[in-house]
Amino acid sequence: MLSRLTLLVLLAWFAAPQGGASEPVTVAAAVSLTQVLEEIAAAYAAAGGGPVRFNLGGSNVLARQILNGAPADVFISADEAQMAVVEKAGAVLAGSRVDLVENQLAIVATPDRVDFVRQEFGRAAAGIRRLAIGDPAAVPAGVYARQYLERRGLWSAYEPRIVPTTNVRAALAAVETGSVDAAIVYLTDLAAARTAVLAFAVPAKDGPRIVYPGAVLSAARNQTEARRFLTFLRGPVAAAIFTRYKFAPLAS
Amino acid sequence: MDVWQITSFTLLTALAATALMVPPGLALAWLLARRRFRGRVLVETFVSLPLVMPPVATGLILLLLFSPRGPVGGVLARVGIDVVFTWRAVVLAMTVMGLPLFVRTVRAGFEQVDTRYEAIAGTLGASPIRVFFSITLPLAFPALAAGAVLGFARAIGEFGATIMVAGSIPGVTRTLPVAIYTFTEIGRDRDAAMLLAVSAGIAFAALWLSNYLTSRAGLRT
Amino acid sequence: MIEIDIRLEQGSFVLDVRERLEARVTVLFGPSGAGKTTILDAIAGLRTPVRGAIAVNGRTLFSSTGGINLPSHTRHVGYVSQDIALFPHLDVRRNVTYGQRPGQKLSLESVASILEVGALLDRGVSMLSGGERQRVALARALMSAPDVLLLDEPLAAVDLELRRRILPYLERVRDELAVPILYVTHDRDEARRFADRVVVLDRGNVIRAGVPAEVLPGTDAPAAARKG
Repeated sequence: MLSRLTLLVLLAWFAAPQGGASEPVTVAAAVSLTQVLEEIAAAYAAAGGGPVRFNLGGSNVLARQILNGAPADVFISADEAQMAVVEKAGAVLAGSRVDLVENQLAIVATPDRVDFVRQEFGRAAAGIRRLAIGDPAAVPAGVYARQYLERRGLWSAYEPRIVPTTNVRAALAAVETGSVDAAIVYLTDLAAARTAVLAFAVPAKDGPRIVYPGAVLSAARNQTEARRFLTFLRGPVAAAIFTRYKFAPLAS
Repeated sequence: MDVWQITSFTLLTALAATALMVPPGLALAWLLARRRFRGRVLVETFVSLPLVMPPVATGLILLLLFSPRGPVGGVLARVGIDVVFTWRAVVLAMTVMGLPLFVRTVRAGFEQVDTRYEAIAGTLGASPIRVFFSITLPLAFPALAAGAVLGFARAIGEFGATIMVAGSIPGVTRTLPVAIYTFTEIGRDRDAAMLLAVSAGIAFAALWLSNYLTSRAGLRT
Repeated sequence: MIEIDIRLEQGSFVLDVRERLEARVTVLFGPSGAGKTTILDAIAGLRTPVRGAIAVNGRTLFSSTGGINLPSHTRHVGYVSQDIALFPHLDVRRNVTYGQRPGQKLSLESVASILEVGALLDRGVSMLSGGERQRVALARALMSAPDVLLLDEPLAAVDLELRRRILPYLERVRDELAVPILYVTHDRDEARRFADRVVVLDRGNVIRAGVPAEVLPGTDAPAAARKG
């Protein structure tokens, strides 16, 4: 008797019509956008938009998930390379791609080491024994970090000391547990840091250009809502929030 | 990608971990098989914990203990020994995850050794240590071998704890499973597939050997 | 000489024995479950009495008042248990010499010749007949040069024919090695033939002790008379 009742309830639940307006927009986004997107989603809802659900991770991992059929409506990558991967596979809705924000690299350490790191980083001092960055083979933050180190002629010195992480927030975590001496993350990640502090930010002229493109995916089940959200991300409300988190909006 | 380097690194660290498992594993297996003592259930539980907890959780515990700011890692760092994100962390993760399997198998083996033999050996003048090495251990040897093979197989396949405490540093801590995971993440699918074949082959051979040894000992584990 | 004064919980009754055993061969006689094996276990250190004292040739093995309880590997007893328990993973030679200590006077050759196990030395333990197993077990116990030999029903699992053949070996051990023997059996004929003294046990207590003829009058007295 009870099991039949349960079965009925379950059937009703699954069979219930899913209204388009109440179905959330799924956004696959680079993990460095975690906090800022949460706030923007709240502002979106307050402005009358629908619910937004996030799938956050390293952009390379997200790209592969999308290509493997993971359900997503919008993709926001931390670099153009991963967006290109998805575009080349035809998974992006034509004409929907836009550049959203820019970011900057930052070198971080824990408070007791930060002065040392600030002074000695440029000389690749032996006291900086381990440096965490996103995996330079594919994680955007790691690719940027490597480009920066190469530009400063420091890559060969640091290469044997690199601890590659799955995404940029893992690099941040590594520094906070004391497992590494310093990490290269995004300037915006400091907002999410608990104990790590800024040693120095990489000025725009010294670092690679870090652009976050966003696009609606062709397999999106909720294209209208997806477009609405992407447009919101380029609007003034979102721009103000982005700026507060130290992202540089690229609204057209 | 250096298949050979990744494979040999994994085999060597797994061998080291298996060797490390043996002394404490034998002691624990013998204690649990032969002695009643207060706190025995606690010991049994702790030994089984890595079997039941998610490996990443065990890895996280190891990370917190052995990072330079942790209680154990801090002491070691002061004498210049780095653990996390080095090969030592790989061996550590493998040992911790393989030890419960080793203890279980060997304990069952000890329990099957008739204590009469040990008692008689004692009356013949053999000290408890001599009894252990000349009677108990040889009679339980098939279980010991099976346990070692099982521990070795577990060590080779160890991922969750390893990636937590040792990371995936190319040429330094990338074991077979960790490399497969990382290569999949960064899109090197062909390399991942090749390593998949290698690790499947090794695991198959190890498990077959373990089952063969266990059946020879007549054990039901 | 064995001095034994012990009290031990034994399942449904309490073993309470006080004896001084000075003969060459003392037989512990009684029905199964009377506590005979328990006495041997206590002397060997395999069971601990609740209270009392055990001494062999003046050497204290156990004393509850004195806080002494020597572990069995320091007691110098030679124990042949009912189930024999030859070590399955060692050959006969390694079994027999297991308890041998370097520099001891008793040699493998002499023990092997008394028990006629020389030819068996290189065999595996699983390739021995019942009688051979008995002799090897005896040899093993003897090779440890014990102060006392404890034999627990050594002939119980052996058929009559075999029994007749092994008893002479036991007699040779008794005669040639001068080690006091404590022999457990429930067989009257064995007891009468082998013992210098018999201690009869029932439900944990000694009910009689003395020379075989007095303590165990038997129906085969005429047979013994016939043997002359």
